[in-house]
Amino acid sequence: MDLGLTLAVLGGALAVALGGSGSAIGVGLAGQAAAGVMSEDPEKFGILLLLVALPGTQGIYGFLSTFLVLLKLGLTGATAVKPSVHQGWQIFVACLPVGITGLVSAIHQGKVCASGVYMVAKQPKDLAKPLVLAALVETYAVLGLLITILLLNSIKL
Amino acid sequence: MGLAKVEKVGILAHASLRSKLLSVLQEAGIVQVEEVDRSETGLGSTPADISELDHVLHRLKRGMDFLSQFEEKGLLDRIKARKPALSLQERGKVLKFDYFPVLDRLEKIEAEKSELLSHLKFVQKETEFLLTLAGLELPVSAFKSTNLIEVMVGSLPLSRREELAGLTEEMALWHEVIGSEKRVCFLILFVLKEDKDLIDEKLKEVEFLPLYLAEPILSKAEEGDRVRDIIEKNRREIGEKTKKIAELDNEEKKMVVYRDRLAELYDILHNEREKLSASRLLGETEKAVYIEGWVKSEDTPRLRSILARSAEECEVFTRPPLDGEDVPVILENPRPAEPFEVLTKLYGLPHRDSIDPTIPLAPFFFVFVGLCVSEAGYGLIMAILSLLYIRCAKPRGNALQFFRLLFLLGISNIILGTLVGGWFGFPIRQLLVIDALKDPLPFLVLALVLGFVQVCFGTLLSLIARLKKKNYVQAIFVQGGWLLLLPALVAYFLTKQTLWGILALAGASGIVFFASPRRNLLARFFGGLYSLYDISRYLGDVLSYSRLLALGMATSVIAMVVNTLSQTALGIPWVGWLFAALIFAGGHLFNLIISFLGGFVHSMRLQFVEFFTKFFQPGGKPFKPFKLENKFVEFV
Repeated sequence: MDLGLTLAVLGGALAVALGGSGSAIGVGLAGQAAAGVMSEDPEKFGILLLLVALPGTQGIYGFLSTFLVLLKLGLTGATAVKPSVHQGWQIFVACLPVGITGLVSAIHQGKVCASGVYMVAKQPKDLAKPLVLAALVETYAVLGLLITILLLNSIKL
Repeated sequence: MGLAKVEKVGILAHASLRSKLLSVLQEAGIVQVEEVDRSETGLGSTPADISELDHVLHRLKRGMDFLSQFEEKGLLDRIKARKPALSLQERGKVLKFDYFPVLDRLEKIEAEKSELLSHLKFVQKETEFLLTLAGLELPVSAFKSTNLIEVMVGSLPLSRREELAGLTEEMALWHEVIGSEKRVCFLILFVLKEDKDLIDEKLKEVEFLPLYLAEPILSKAEEGDRVRDIIEKNRREIGEKTKKIAELDNEEKKMVVYRDRLAELYDILHNEREKLSASRLLGETEKAVYIEGWVKSEDTPRLRSILARSAEECEVFTRPPLDGEDVPVILENPRPAEPFEVLTKLYGLPHRDSIDPTIPLAPFFFVFVGLCVSEAGYGLIMAILSLLYIRCAKPRGNALQFFRLLFLLGISNIILGTLVGGWFGFPIRQLLVIDALKDPLPFLVLALVLGFVQVCFGTLLSLIARLKKKNYVQAIFVQGGWLLLLPALVAYFLTKQTLWGILALAGASGIVFFASPRRNLLARFFGGLYSLYDISRYLGDVLSYSRLLALGMATSVIAMVVNTLSQTALGIPWVGWLFAALIFAGGHLFNLIISFLGGFVHSMRLQFVEFFTKFFQPGGKPFKPFKLENKFVEFV
């Protein structure tokens, strides 16, 4: 495997690994809080699930960016494209926005969601508010994903 | 559109009609009863004690809980279960049912059961303990120390047996093994009392743990009973108790027939309680009673006719709300927009002077969720499922509105999914307007244009709101300025024509000179200049809509991944089709849930953060009519 392809694959791997790690931490934080609340009030499972699942999206964004890289490299089909070293670097860098924003935002979103879980425990009718607060954090992961998609799309192989 | 008109209603009647009036209002369910201002009118009130009813309700609830442990119902039964319907006459009949014997019996059974259970547990523990000493052939009564000798039983680790044997050689101690387990054996020891202290110490060293036969065991033992006989006795007792519990369970199971009755009673008495607590709000004199409250103007004639029919000797006054009054808010929208009230309510009801944002947000939210999910197949599933749920479970109130909203969002996805996404990851190329996977830019432009339109629309609504408040200068020069500046600026950057530039400058000057309310010209100018800085906020708001593209693409790419994986699985010999089908179904289900969650939340955020902040003023108090409330039965 030549350097160009290696770099491109490395970028793809980073996107899913960073986003996924962030989401794992974020969902973990929210999940712990939710489990605590449910020990008192098991019937809240349904609404709390929403809050716990929310920091999981960054992992999905990373995953789908990686898939786009694979598509671009033709690694899913029979014929793989061989990018030059420059193109490899380009793909590598294009993967960074979604990876890094995903990692950081998922952790912080997890914290917001965990606090949101406590809020719902006391004010069950105010589910919308913590959801929106969490979405405020997620915005930056979405923007990262957007730029990764646009960058990947603009790299011509 | 928007908020329904509400009037204050006062009802004056003879005191004898007090209870009847409240019943009639509760049945009608259109008036929110308010506390009468007694300080000004000098009216009194009768105290009402609801604690007794509360106690009965609590007992009923507990009785129902006892019985529901014997009810067998699956999830599907629960969804399909209809609440029994009760008419006014039937309710009267239910009230005549003497529920106290049932409740008394139930509570007695439960008390007996819990006592039996705790005793059973105790005897079981005791038997477990005795089993370790079952090898003891001595009668328990012989188990007493004499003047010279002390008798002990206890456990010893198997590994220390040698050491104990050593001890018996050198001390006044005799032992016999009466049983053993994996790691310990049980012993009986006879010890000379004189040497007891010394021996105790030595025994501690070899980790001998003395066991004591507690008083309840000793008292159970008759003359000549060995440990084995006591175990036998305990077993018999356990058998009897278990049988007794089963009998009680059976009796309780037979009482399940009363459960529905208790549920009916619960709802009826709960409403009686509500009536009683509402009666505290009334103003009263010796001969008259005065009820005050809010009613939807539209319902006023109905209220009058209902009252005229059921209580002739009463007088009804209505008047529009006064300025300082805290008027409850009722959203009123045409049927297609009604489901979107869910979103308004989630954010908070509009202040009575504000615009109801439901209709303005409805088309945007409809389109945004469609773009965020952009998957026609998922839309179809969502539409069918929500429709089925509405048909089968017959939800009411907010739940009904929510499922109707989901149905609409399903429809939106069927349309937009076909145009910009696909069906379960397979795009229909002939119908595709934008193929985001090939070229995402048109989709991005579409998202930003939609965002621009909504942000400008929000500013327009703010302009209208200010006009309504007669704040003409702010409305025309500032909000109007923005509405002129923003499109002109965009047009200028796109076409580079000076005309647009001039228009943009005109709009900007309106903002600079009128945004700040200060008198000092210089302060006013700089204050206005600072407001112009808001343009960065507008820019950020519009860019925020680019999430529509990212979320939309996320759904289609994951759908594609699922299809690719399931295709790969097809290659597995023999069972490939099964794996493929499982991956296809499971993967798409996962994607459906996650993308609807994301699509809903992010579209909601766009309404709340980008749109509502432009014009919306929350803080309305919900209208809570005094009505029949039901948990278990339906009142007809």
